[in-house]
Amino acid sequence: MRPVLAMIKKEFLQVKRTREMLALLFMFPLIQMLVLGYAITTEVKHVRLIIVDLDNSRISRELVRAFQHTDRFDVQARDILLTHIGEYLQGWKAQMALVIPRDFGRLLRRGLQPDVQLIVDGVDGNTAGVALGYARGILQQTATQLSPAGHPVSYRPTAPRLHLQERMWYNLNLDSAQFMIPGIVVVLLTIIPMMLTAMSLVREREIGTLEQLLVTPMGKLQLLAGKLIPFLILSFAELVLVMKVAQWIFRVQMHGSYPLLGAIAFIYLFTTLGLGIFISTFTQTQQQAMFVAWFFMVFMILMSGFFIPIPNMPELLQTLTYLNPMRYMMFVIRDIFQKGSSWVYLLPDIGALTGFGLLIFLASILKFSKRIG
Amino acid sequence: MNQRKPAIVAEHLTRRFGTFLAVDRVSFRVYEGEIFGFLGANGAGKTTVIRMLCGLLAPSDGNAWTAGFNVRTQVEQIKQHIGYMSQKFSLYEDLTVRENLAFYGGLYHLRRDQIQQKKQQLFQQLELAAFETTLARDLPLGFKQRLALSCALLHDPPVLFLDEPTSGVDPRARRDFWGLIQSLARSGKTIFVTTHFMEEAEYCHRVAIMHEGKIVAMDTPETLKARSRKSSMQQVFVSLIQQQLTES
Amino acid sequence: MRRPRSRIAAIALKEFWHILHDPRSLTIIFLLPVIQLIMFGYALNLEIQKVELAIIDLDRTPASRELIQHFEGSPFFEVMAFRAPISQIETLFLRRKARAVLIIPADYSRQRQQGTTVDLQLIIDASDPNAAINISNYCQQIVEAVPTTRLAPPPAPFEVKSTIWFNPDMKSAYFFVPGLLALLLVMISALLTSVAITREKETGTLEQLLVSPVTPVEIILGKVIPYVLLAFLDGVGILLIGVFVFQVPFTGSAVLLAFLTLLYIITALSLGLMISTVTSTQQVAMMAAQSATLLPTLFLSGFIFPLRSLPWILQLISYIVPARYYLVIVRGIMLKGNTLPQLITPALFLMGLSTVLLIIAGKRFKTTLEA
Repeated sequence: MRPVLAMIKKEFLQVKRTREMLALLFMFPLIQMLVLGYAITTEVKHVRLIIVDLDNSRISRELVRAFQHTDRFDVQARDILLTHIGEYLQGWKAQMALVIPRDFGRLLRRGLQPDVQLIVDGVDGNTAGVALGYARGILQQTATQLSPAGHPVSYRPTAPRLHLQERMWYNLNLDSAQFMIPGIVVVLLTIIPMMLTAMSLVREREIGTLEQLLVTPMGKLQLLAGKLIPFLILSFAELVLVMKVAQWIFRVQMHGSYPLLGAIAFIYLFTTLGLGIFISTFTQTQQQAMFVAWFFMVFMILMSGFFIPIPNMPELLQTLTYLNPMRYMMFVIRDIFQKGSSWVYLLPDIGALTGFGLLIFLASILKFSKRIG
Repeated sequence: MNQRKPAIVAEHLTRRFGTFLAVDRVSFRVYEGEIFGFLGANGAGKTTVIRMLCGLLAPSDGNAWTAGFNVRTQVEQIKQHIGYMSQKFSLYEDLTVRENLAFYGGLYHLRRDQIQQKKQQLFQQLELAAFETTLARDLPLGFKQRLALSCALLHDPPVLFLDEPTSGVDPRARRDFWGLIQSLARSGKTIFVTTHFMEEAEYCHRVAIMHEGKIVAMDTPETLKARSRKSSMQQVFVSLIQQQLTES
Repeated sequence: MRRPRSRIAAIALKEFWHILHDPRSLTIIFLLPVIQLIMFGYALNLEIQKVELAIIDLDRTPASRELIQHFEGSPFFEVMAFRAPISQIETLFLRRKARAVLIIPADYSRQRQQGTTVDLQLIIDASDPNAAINISNYCQQIVEAVPTTRLAPPPAPFEVKSTIWFNPDMKSAYFFVPGLLALLLVMISALLTSVAITREKETGTLEQLLVSPVTPVEIILGKVIPYVLLAFLDGVGILLIGVFVFQVPFTGSAVLLAFLTLLYIITALSLGLMISTVTSTQQVAMMAAQSATLLPTLFLSGFIFPLRSLPWILQLISYIVPARYYLVIVRGIMLKGNTLPQLITPALFLMGLSTVLLIIAGKRFKTTLEA
């Protein structure tokens, strides 16, 4: 035990000495969470709109006003020439143009169904789609307030209809933080242990201290245990910190059991620490280790359902996600947080995570040769 | 001297890296309390021999015993009985002198009081006490070397491997260092040292000269000098290598 | 003038050797973007599809079965019948067997015949709010399409016609190829250079360089040039794949894009250099470079989320994210055929940003030397 304790103490001292490291270890996750928590929003606001009102009737002014009274659109210019639309859209001065044709009001009063034209910059496909939806909504709402004769009347349902009564379970307010933040926890639980392990082992190889360690009677397992336990502790500390802050700032609610989450996170750490060891066995420099770790990470994150839902992927990629340990952890953490799932429902995931953990950890320990050649 | 027990035995020790023959059937014995110098240019195979003797690298062929243990089968026992100082002075630069020592002491299962006691002794012997709380990175090079030596000596190993221990250190520190080595040998430790400073060979009891993976000469420095009628080891080395080159 | 240039060349050459002697990193530098691009190309589809919908039919009449058929006919849903008691719904969600449950009331057909409004219950697993909104929208659409009366609905008073410019088919490749280009370029440039100087600091070779008669500027230039070329090649590769595999149009001037891409790469490298001068170990440098590139480029550049929807503080931060400007440049040149006058603002911002970063890097580098 003493060699392991000596290793652990040394690792902590080294982390402590590199003060920037400490700051990064704890600041980086927090910043990441803050940015993601606030940035990930499906809402589109303040779309820059230009309006060409060729009609300038009471009704057309009514439509224009509807666009001015929402924070979804910022009206940049009115009454510009039709031919200037191109310049605005191409020159990044507006994203959408609304064109109300001449005689719009007159045709509307006669019930002749005039057209309203929306032109949108499709370069940012997502925003364009959402903004178009909003604009249609605003137009339609205004339309329903206008009778075919053009006089505002109040809307009343006439035909019997099917009515959907919706209940949103687990996330009543459709708050995306509740979904994304637990995901970030998984990402952190992957990046930090994997990078730290890989980089610190390779670093010792680079500066020659690994060789020094290998001539001591300390066993391979003791060496790795001494390396990994500090990172395990650090990872857990981060986990706690990030979750606490998440609950405090984003009001992320935890419906499940902390011990269960802790236990599964522990299992998952075997996978990520193991990957770190694995990377260190075939890289010579920290730069290499970093790149390989990146390589693994990008794939794991992309294929985990973190921000691209797995059902959206093509069949083949969906199947491939089963080989990604992060996928299981992603489900587990979200289920525990949001649904309060008990271990019974998570058994398949726990099984998969345990399998991956054992496999990757054992394989990397075997590959981590105590000899050099 | 041959009456004493051998501390290191190498028999036809060979190591290949792919098709490159780094060490070619090397045989020798080092006796207890002896300072055995391994000389050769960079890339002659000195470090590879050390690594095999420490159990860091498996031999491709041949066999060797260090402190009575086989390098193929008893690697773990070997590690209990050797100290090793690599040419890079592999220290943790971001730890202090004391922390480095405590760390290596821990690796060798030493108790805190043992580390403390040994540390006092080494501090006195190596004049390191003033630097106890200095970060390793801030030490003058000569003291880095001493610290690396202390780390290798903490567990009192009977056999000490020093791989280019004096590279980059100024001449005075080098002389002091060899004084230390000699007193260690007098206390019964076996010292296996590699160097490419030929004048340092004079400090060794016996030397082996390596060239392209082979031992081309092995004896006491005096005998080698007498045999080739040269006054310094530097000249002995040059003439031996020239001889090798003309032969091949 | 000849001598300083040759010294820069010597450092650049050395840096090239570092790169070439490390085929693994080199492979990753070139392979990673390609694989990422292709994966994104196929995976990045934010429209959700094939949602498991469980339907509890308490009515079990031809009318209710007809309603179910409407759902079955939608490519969006994978419908399954659920016969267990309603109290068991939660296990469907907990076992992730279904994402939504539709309950058809027992008096569905009777109410339909009486011509009254029928309430259908839709329970959605809203743990993923995006998906929940989509599910809700699709269900609404299906339900609205179910004919409830023989009468046609009154015609809308006017029609909305929409035209989408620059990406009429709303192809996602148009959106992620420029974004990925911005992301990969900044990551490669900043990550590589951030480690480049720290590595020399750690291995002590920086000292070696500093005792030679090279000036700090020469060291910095020499170190950066190889990475500029490398990143540029990478960018060309990504663009070629984007244009030829994903059929993203290229309407503007390639020369202008090349020129502005160079500017962007220089900005990213300056960022890496700046990080490299303020950090002491490769590990820290790498972590810092990662936090300064990945997230901001993904989320604070307008790549995935529109900038104008962000909280003001994040919008403010986005002004120092180089990708924010480059995204406008790439999208502008490739899709809109922008010319330099239209892109002068982002170009000037990039120039200003790199100047500031380089000044900081130079200042910090000097103090490193003196310390």
